[in-house]
Amino acid sequence: MKGNVIKYERDNIDTDVIIPGQYLKIHDYAELATHAMEGLDPNFHSKVKEGDFILSGRNFGCGSSREHAPIALSHSGIKAVLALSFARIFYRNAVDGAFLLPIEIDEDTYQSISENDEIDIDISSNEIKNITKNQTYKMKPFSEIIGKIIDAGGLFKYKAD
Amino acid sequence: MGKTLFEKIWDAHVVIEKENNPSLIYVDRHLVHEVTSPQAFEGLRLNNRTVRRPDLTIATMDHNVPTKDRGLPILDQTSAIQIHTLEKNCKEFGIQLFDMNSPNQGIVHVIGPQLGITLPGTTIVCGDSHTSTHGAFGALAFGIGTSEVEHVLASQTLWMEKPKSFEIRVEGKRKNPHAVTAKDIIMSIIKNIGTAGGAGTIVEYSGQGVSDLSMEQRMTICNMSIEGGARAGLIAPDEKTFDYLRNRKYTPKNYESLVEYWRENLKTESDAKFDKTFTLRIDNIAPQVSWGTNPSMTCDVTEHVPFPEDYSKGDQNQKKSAERALEYMDLKSGTPITEIKIDRVFIGSCTNARLEDLVEASKVIKGQKVAKNVQAMVVPGSQMVKKEAEELGIDKIFIDANFEWRESGCSMCLGMNPDILSPGERCASTSNRNFEGRQGVGGRTHLVSPVMAAAAALEGHFVDVRQLDWD
Repeated sequence: MKGNVIKYERDNIDTDVIIPGQYLKIHDYAELATHAMEGLDPNFHSKVKEGDFILSGRNFGCGSSREHAPIALSHSGIKAVLALSFARIFYRNAVDGAFLLPIEIDEDTYQSISENDEIDIDISSNEIKNITKNQTYKMKPFSEIIGKIIDAGGLFKYKAD
Repeated sequence: MGKTLFEKIWDAHVVIEKENNPSLIYVDRHLVHEVTSPQAFEGLRLNNRTVRRPDLTIATMDHNVPTKDRGLPILDQTSAIQIHTLEKNCKEFGIQLFDMNSPNQGIVHVIGPQLGITLPGTTIVCGDSHTSTHGAFGALAFGIGTSEVEHVLASQTLWMEKPKSFEIRVEGKRKNPHAVTAKDIIMSIIKNIGTAGGAGTIVEYSGQGVSDLSMEQRMTICNMSIEGGARAGLIAPDEKTFDYLRNRKYTPKNYESLVEYWRENLKTESDAKFDKTFTLRIDNIAPQVSWGTNPSMTCDVTEHVPFPEDYSKGDQNQKKSAERALEYMDLKSGTPITEIKIDRVFIGSCTNARLEDLVEASKVIKGQKVAKNVQAMVVPGSQMVKKEAEELGIDKIFIDANFEWRESGCSMCLGMNPDILSPGERCASTSNRNFEGRQGVGGRTHLVSPVMAAAAALEGHFVDVRQLDWD
């Protein structure tokens, strides 16, 4: 998975800024995506490209259980969010609907990757290559359980062993 | 080793449990509302599935509904579509719906307990993060996303990794329990543990500070568990719990025998171990006011707006978050909280719109008027709360003080219905989230208790409600 990084250097990016409440009535995902991150970064829609990644701090996706949050990011082209940690409901929603990968990274990795860096994520080896900076980092591996749901392509496709 | 209350409820609901796999958990009650359910019902239709237990599924409309002029058509077309879609889905799948004209309509987390749908020892889910509210009755209750809503509709079960357990002990006695409320207790807890302090856990609140609380106050505590990052908050049921649920509309017929079982079983055993613990002493806590853009950015009403470096304690991300929060909130470090002027007051939401909240707030304002330039509103949590308050004459106290008295719904808690802040407006709000834009684009939210909101409405700025002459 190769793409460029959009970095938000802050903790607690909440679901109300990822997709503000007034847009929860929109059922067309392409239209929903035009409002992704609008509460924090009104330029997000014009700068995001298919295959991009978001990089942010701790507790990404805190707040509401709205699945519209990972859906809006996913339909904007975001394939993965890299963060120091995630709020649990956002994490589950992202994985359950197979919308995007929530990837936990450590502080050094967070500091090393800059806005616009091109990175290559390999979840089979848990490695993140920074092509721009020619560096390699380790991501936190998915738990066995989460890995199985991701491999299955979401909650509905998952069956217990 | 003994089990915690959470473990007992979990174990009683496991359908499938295998090592290194998520567990399949049975769901006793599924609450549905108009915003997070349309795609779930659509998914059922696309896959030719039905609702497995329509009798355990209960729906209402709360997020989008207008809180005035209910007799008129809904002006916002997209809201109208969502509301009509829920009506259509409930009819097609045979689900009980409390619609906008029902006397039982209200915020889903207010009506569940009021109707006796919420019961101790049960598992309750809803496509809303504040489902944690129901934990006040010793139910394992948590919010889920729309994919999970579909899964529960189809199967009445949910795949779940077993969360960790977290005990939060609340010790001591408040000196003035009318002025220092359950809201101040939970905001103090979140201020201490942080917005991710409870991540991956189910919190059990215990100690005298919790057992002293009424059921409605306990709901305020459990409601905001999610703001501390926890999936759910639990309080072991006691006689107050059993009394509250007796003789409600849907209280089971064999209630007294259930009570006997609950009394005996629904508690954490003395030798049980929690994965994590935290203790808050409440003897000297003050009324709380949030100053920033997440619920942990909170201080005592007697304090000043903090400096980012003091708040962040050396953490760069926290410092940046605080700087941005102060900029968004248009606040200067060092300003006394009591000098912050407000434009709007909102008494409502699943956190603080129950009868007791309204009664307490009404005591503060009785015979007085809302300050000039302040627009204030009360939105009861349910039509039942509204009716009970009107029977007590509470509505008149608010109306005489120039508060608006509305119909029930989520209203200004989340800015997706006509009740929103205008850009730059500052609001004393009894809701649960002060995120940027939460109450409307550019709106500035300060989270407070109902009595603090009422006091701020009278003065036009925050005041220490302990110093007012009331009660």
